[in-house]
Amino acid sequence: GDFVTLYSSLSGGCSQVGAGLSSQVTGSGWTSGRISVLKGLSDIEGYHTQGGGGVTIPEELLKWNGWGYNDSKFIFNKKGQAEFTGKRYRLGGMVLPTFKEWIEKTFGASLEHKTTSRASLNVNDVPPSIVNEEFLQDLRATKISYSQDAEDRVFRAHGHCLHEIFVLREGMFKRIPDIVVWPVCHEDVVKIVELACKHNLCIIPFGGGTSVSSALECPEEEKRMIISLDTSQMNRILWIDEKNLTACVEAGIVGQDLEKQLAESGFCTGHEPDSMEFSSLGGWVATRASGMKKNIYGNIEDLVIHIKMVTPRGIVEKNCQVPRMSTGPDIHHFIMGSEGTLGVVTEVTIKIRPVPEYQKYGSVVFPNFERGVACLREVAKQRCAPASIRLVDNAQFQFGHALKPQVASIFTSFLDGLKKFYITKFKGFDPNILCVATLLFEGDREKVLQHEKQVYDIATKFGGLAAGEDNGQRGYMLTFVIAYLRDLGLDYYVIGESFETSVPWDRVLDLCRNVKERIVRECKEKGVQFAPLSTCRVTQTYDAGACVYFYFAFNYRGISDPIHVYEQIERAAREEILANGGSLSHHHGVGKLRKRWMKESISDVGLGMLRSVKEYVDPNNIFGNKNLL
Amino acid sequence: MYSKELTSKKRDEFEDILEERRLSSDLRYAMKCYTPVIYKGLSPCKPNAIKSAVLQSEQVQYVIKQLAKEMGESPDIIQEEATEILDEMGHRMQLGAVRFFAFTLSKIFKQLFQRVCVNEEGMQRLQHAIQEHPVVLLPSHRSYVDFLMLSYLLYTYDLALPVIAAGIDFLGMKIVGELLRRAGAFFMRRSFGGNRLYWAVFAEYVKTMLRSGYAPIEFFLEGTRSRTAKTLTPKFGLLSIVMEPFFKREVFDTYLVPISISYERILEESLYAYELLGVPKPKESTSGLLKARRILSDNFGTIHIYVGQPVSLRTLASGRINRCPYNLVPRHLPQKPSEDIQEFVSDVAYKMELLQIENMVLSPWVLVAAVLLQNLPAMEFELLIEKTLWLKGLTQTFGGFIEWPDNLCAKKAVLSGLTLHSNIASLVDGHVVLNDKGMEDGAVGELVFRHALAVLMCATYRNQLLNVFVRPALVAVALQMAPSFRKEEVYSCFSFLRDVFSDEFIFFPGISLKDFEEGCFLLTKCDAIQTSQQEIYPTDKGSGTVSFLSAMFRPFVEGYQLIFRYLSKEMKEAFTEKQFIPAVRNFVFQLLEKGSTQCYEALSSDMQKNALSALVQLGAVKKKKMPNGLIYNVNQEAVSKILDMFDDSADAIPEHNEFLFPEYEILIEPEEPESPADNNEDEQGAEDTSKDAKEQEKLGAAGVADETFQSLDEETLEAMAKHETEEEKIFQMFKKQVAAEPEQIIRYCRGEGGPLWVSGENRPEEKDIPNCVCGAKRKFEFQIMPQLLNHLQVDSLGESIDWGTLVVYTCANSCGGANEYLEEFIWKQDYSMGCTI
Repeated sequence: GDFVTLYSSLSGGCSQVGAGLSSQVTGSGWTSGRISVLKGLSDIEGYHTQGGGGVTIPEELLKWNGWGYNDSKFIFNKKGQAEFTGKRYRLGGMVLPTFKEWIEKTFGASLEHKTTSRASLNVNDVPPSIVNEEFLQDLRATKISYSQDAEDRVFRAHGHCLHEIFVLREGMFKRIPDIVVWPVCHEDVVKIVELACKHNLCIIPFGGGTSVSSALECPEEEKRMIISLDTSQMNRILWIDEKNLTACVEAGIVGQDLEKQLAESGFCTGHEPDSMEFSSLGGWVATRASGMKKNIYGNIEDLVIHIKMVTPRGIVEKNCQVPRMSTGPDIHHFIMGSEGTLGVVTEVTIKIRPVPEYQKYGSVVFPNFERGVACLREVAKQRCAPASIRLVDNAQFQFGHALKPQVASIFTSFLDGLKKFYITKFKGFDPNILCVATLLFEGDREKVLQHEKQVYDIATKFGGLAAGEDNGQRGYMLTFVIAYLRDLGLDYYVIGESFETSVPWDRVLDLCRNVKERIVRECKEKGVQFAPLSTCRVTQTYDAGACVYFYFAFNYRGISDPIHVYEQIERAAREEILANGGSLSHHHGVGKLRKRWMKESISDVGLGMLRSVKEYVDPNNIFGNKNLL
Repeated sequence: MYSKELTSKKRDEFEDILEERRLSSDLRYAMKCYTPVIYKGLSPCKPNAIKSAVLQSEQVQYVIKQLAKEMGESPDIIQEEATEILDEMGHRMQLGAVRFFAFTLSKIFKQLFQRVCVNEEGMQRLQHAIQEHPVVLLPSHRSYVDFLMLSYLLYTYDLALPVIAAGIDFLGMKIVGELLRRAGAFFMRRSFGGNRLYWAVFAEYVKTMLRSGYAPIEFFLEGTRSRTAKTLTPKFGLLSIVMEPFFKREVFDTYLVPISISYERILEESLYAYELLGVPKPKESTSGLLKARRILSDNFGTIHIYVGQPVSLRTLASGRINRCPYNLVPRHLPQKPSEDIQEFVSDVAYKMELLQIENMVLSPWVLVAAVLLQNLPAMEFELLIEKTLWLKGLTQTFGGFIEWPDNLCAKKAVLSGLTLHSNIASLVDGHVVLNDKGMEDGAVGELVFRHALAVLMCATYRNQLLNVFVRPALVAVALQMAPSFRKEEVYSCFSFLRDVFSDEFIFFPGISLKDFEEGCFLLTKCDAIQTSQQEIYPTDKGSGTVSFLSAMFRPFVEGYQLIFRYLSKEMKEAFTEKQFIPAVRNFVFQLLEKGSTQCYEALSSDMQKNALSALVQLGAVKKKKMPNGLIYNVNQEAVSKILDMFDDSADAIPEHNEFLFPEYEILIEPEEPESPADNNEDEQGAEDTSKDAKEQEKLGAAGVADETFQSLDEETLEAMAKHETEEEKIFQMFKKQVAAEPEQIIRYCRGEGGPLWVSGENRPEEKDIPNCVCGAKRKFEFQIMPQLLNHLQVDSLGESIDWGTLVVYTCANSCGGANEYLEEFIWKQDYSMGCTI
């Protein structure tokens, strides 16, 4: 319970095209264990199981119309206080006394005005399955599990964009997959792709389903049968090579499982996108994902040693697993970021590292955002960034503060007051202007402490004030919890979303200010009655620039078509980013949501280059999710 | 660009800020608590901090390093130079100086002006704008008073004093210059094109001020004071500097605030007139200003300051500049703006000037001046009042912003204008005359000069009207220029005029057609013209309006022609502007002395420069940059061609439309089968062959003044209807004959055929036609058809002159010598009754 309450990701999850909601959770501790075949499932038409492996039904454990686990969510308890349920997270079961007030103040929302999602999927609304009988016969012959069940199909018809969740709560998708297949290995995928080519069908690979770029939405005009290829059963670590520190892993494995299983051997990948509980390795590759600790371990493009992908043309792979090669443009770069348009990634060899000996969190308060950015820039310049360093603006600081759980004792409360006094009165920080950086150090103990000192010394030069380890840790813990918040907002007429960009250092401040201002202004123009929450944080530092994450949310009472308004504002914000010299996306990807800006982003010729690859690899557009191009 | 709802545009009310000054202590006012609202993101800093920020900025440092490298000089020396530039330029605002100014200006303004009227709502909008985003004030520039007044105004309303980009000439005024600087002004050299260091320091200084939101930036789009009260074409340099922070997204938005400052009487009016006539203006010096105190005893009427709606640069740019061109180059590197951006800057500049024009207040005197200039040398007072009142209505229809004191009768308004401007015009024996009689005993040259001076001073006021009138008026001029009323032809004339006058008046670039439609719309609105699918033609009652409008712009049409003529005939060699101005002035002067032109305004150096620059833009004159300045080369053929565009038609606009009919060319063609073969060789053969069967004929029907523009009344309509029903045979025949060539205005057939009668009634007997003075019989030669009435624009029934046909009988023997006039006989036949000779 420190004064500076921090949190991190507000994101509705990193964007993994294809990463699986079907968290095939194994290992100990975290989840309630392996999900097994639903009772009597084989009696229900449409379910076919194959000897040996069981079909996992993730719907049972995960929300069908929101983020994450069913048992974990924000609620208002009988006393009207906010609370986070479940036992999965550290915040679980805690009461958040100031949160209600924050919501009311920030959004003008009121607990009396509530909208509720319908309780369950109405199967009658679901578009009927288009069936190619010949394919189905061929498929049965392969013994690969599949389902034509409405719930399974709807489950794989969307990612986690706001409009998708909104549709789940209140409407229905116009087009959804016609069949879901569960290959268990590379060879299964080869068979499925061959059959799809033979019968000219459409395949949309599905990993963890955490996409936030509309990448999983089925093109409405697709007349062919759409196969959702769910990679969740391809979740094994095939081998670990300790000499070269690499591991070959099936692409369907979900982030937290990968880390847990590697940890059993004393290793880790260190790749931790905010969605790592649910997103899959294949999805990371398909979107060019970025992890929180990229400063030590690198982004996905730095981690990947070898990729095996099944395409309509055949299998693409390299002849060796080497750190670097000069053999023309790297074909991995056609695959990474291809967003499911070229084929299915089946196996990935990825770099691994020994699990770090020591981890230490930290946090720094800055008098204002400008100083904070200047400090991050200096840290980047000296190339001494810790595993993670993030800077949140004042609005997010306030927000984090509002998520502070009830204090355990009078003593902490007293301490709180003392700290507040010290920071605001003694040091002259304005609580309405100050901002906070959270830090995570990793490595051997001695080096971590040395490193820590170096970073804090720099911070001091920029007026920074160390604000404790707890704050840092809480900040990162909250990363996983905050994704649940949108579902609460939706219940009270508040809609929101996050988006990200990368930008050169000299434009970071201008971009942050202008995009936030643009959002406020657009909301006003579009008739939004309460000032929106428009806030940002710098989440990654590079030599030449930074990754900036925005979050915006508003109360939509009084607006007849909130999703449309929301989309207009989001679009305006993206225009603003581009005008300020920011990129179309740092790691969420393009999907269908940001396609319109691709030409502007990579030029006509650049787009043509990508198109020609697509035309060669997949001339019949079997991988027809229409992303990117 | 232009709103169709010109007249219904709501404008704010004015408030006299001097009123309170007259009632309370100036000292207390000057010492009042001054805590201006500031930009929300502002972190306060001292002028010195700004200066060092500018010096240390990447932009300036980059240029310093570049220059050091190029010149082999040490960067320190150049840095030193930059510091000096900054010292010379930089403002250093001190509250003491501000208070001193507030006090002094209160005193001075109260002396000089009756009222200083401000739209308070505009000030409130400005106050909001200043807090939201950086603000750029863009006032019109007619007088040195402009920026003094604006600073005074902002102080009065407790707003941050603007930082002014003013010409460095002020630095000549030692004390005042220093005071101005302490009050917040900063200075730029008039021209520093070549000096990269100066440009870099200056640009960075302005941008730093803007980005920090430290104070509003103020500068004049027109670049200099307009000597003619017409809005000058905008300069783009400063505007693109202040827009750059937005293009680079260093600020979220920038507000551009157009401010219209109009003077009932301009302080520098006579100075300007001298200057335009080539008498050099006194350099701004403190002693000059002290001498100017003489004018303190004079009265300069009312000032109106209209602070326009702040225009968001972001809104202007949305959809215009999509991809930020600055993304791929570090923002501190000097970069030539892309064509897109240059075009955008120019559009914004014009838009801002048009907004200034829109809210420029026009005093009654402006109307008086416009009327008076069309009725020189003297005009009957009562008539002047009547026309002024009529013009008031027209101006309002056109969206002009007239400030006519409530319930003030026209006579009083005109009189008060005459009193205020007694140096320009006065009332003598019930007539209003220009005051140009100061040197009656002087030489001819001096008389011309005196008269020119008076005309130019008077024109300064009329010119204020031109900004508003230019679009409809050029349509009116085009109507008279065009060979027919066909829309395309009128438009092409309009377009030509618009191009020629592109430096003379403010047109938004590239929307010629829209301007044309705007002009037509306004003329239709005041019933001056009617439009059909193909044609645009003046209405009966509108002919007065149309001719008034074209007369209003005649000085420009004629002046340009004179100047073009001079260039096409006399300027054989390359010349500089310095040579051109006196030479063309001399040329015009001589013509005026000889009395072969009346166009005194062609003496104005402003018009001369504009005409030259129009030719440069039209490609008829080549401009070359030489080490010693600009050199011009005339393509005589091209200038002649342009001149022909005028001469073909514009020359035909008569001198004084109130009394003269418009001029036309008559096309003569033989009539086909039924009519007897024409044989006109004996009369006009020589000319016909030489001019290809065309004949130039002047139809100078002087004296048929047509001052009645009322519409048809009921009686006339009834009479017409009755006539229709009594259609008689002869009229049928007449119609049939005419149908072959419906637009004919003259039928010529000497001797045989006899006229084509319009009616059976009232045909002359043989005895009715008197013999010629030589004793010979008169016989029919030609007849004038009623269609001519259309062209003379006097075809309103019952009101204008009218005829069915006019039949001319001439001596059968063709008596008389070569060059003398002879009396002939004319028979007038009307449609129904009545016959007069």
